[in-house]
Amino acid sequence: MGIDLQLDKGEDSVTVTVSGDIDMSSSTKMRDVLTPLFQKDNKVIVVDLSGVGYMDSSGIATLVEGLQWSHNSKNKFRLAALSPGVKDVFEIARLLTVFEVFDTKEQALVG
Amino acid sequence: MAQPIKLSVPSDPKYLGLIRKVLQELLDSHDVPADTARRLILCVDEACANVIKHSYEGPCDEPIEATFTIEGDDFKVQIRDYGKQCDTSQIKPRCLDKVAPGGLGTHFINEIMDEVSYCTNRAKGTLLTMIKKLKSELTSAQDKDKG
Repeated sequence: MGIDLQLDKGEDSVTVTVSGDIDMSSSTKMRDVLTPLFQKDNKVIVVDLSGVGYMDSSGIATLVEGLQWSHNSKNKFRLAALSPGVKDVFEIARLLTVFEVFDTKEQALVG
Repeated sequence: MAQPIKLSVPSDPKYLGLIRKVLQELLDSHDVPADTARRLILCVDEACANVIKHSYEGPCDEPIEATFTIEGDDFKVQIRDYGKQCDTSQIKPRCLDKVAPGGLGTHFINEIMDEVSYCTNRAKGTLLTMIKKLKSELTSAQDKDKG
């Protein structure tokens, strides 16, 4: 099963909406979409995960790259609308409190 | 179910979803709580991904054999590959204090499963055995239903 990624560009923000299962076969596609966004002009990147029912460590690794970009650039990399399954994976990885996580993408854009 | 369910797939990441689906069906049919099932599926997915990455290192047409057994309170899964053997004493989760991409799969497996062992005592490849005691999970789910 592949994933689908939709980009919504704001003035100085980008929302990436991901749908599907993120595993070793699909995380590369997410990485290919996210990595070019890691630039100064994007003050806030929001990844809307409401359509993601499953995520493995390769998906987490891709999102950690976004986190590292935000730490280095002082820009924001935020996650929104994690399903219970995805939230559980973040909890086991002890990353739920490391990321900025919001209930909705609208909240994530405001911060 | 003492009779194991066996599944053999090529070492292509596109088949990871198939393994997850089969396992989901199996765990559903044994009334394994959804939260537990999700975690067990994660472990199997990570184990197979590790075989693709570290044992076969690229080729997509090598065999991955998964065997699932639910017997009594135990859920047992065995993952057999015929790729490169590694020093099993070196397979350990990385320290989570440092936030870094990668290396989480082994942490998930060790955190979720009750028993994990790697056997390389064979001509080729590795046999990974993971066991989860389901009794406490099933009991807590039943208590939740009663409550």
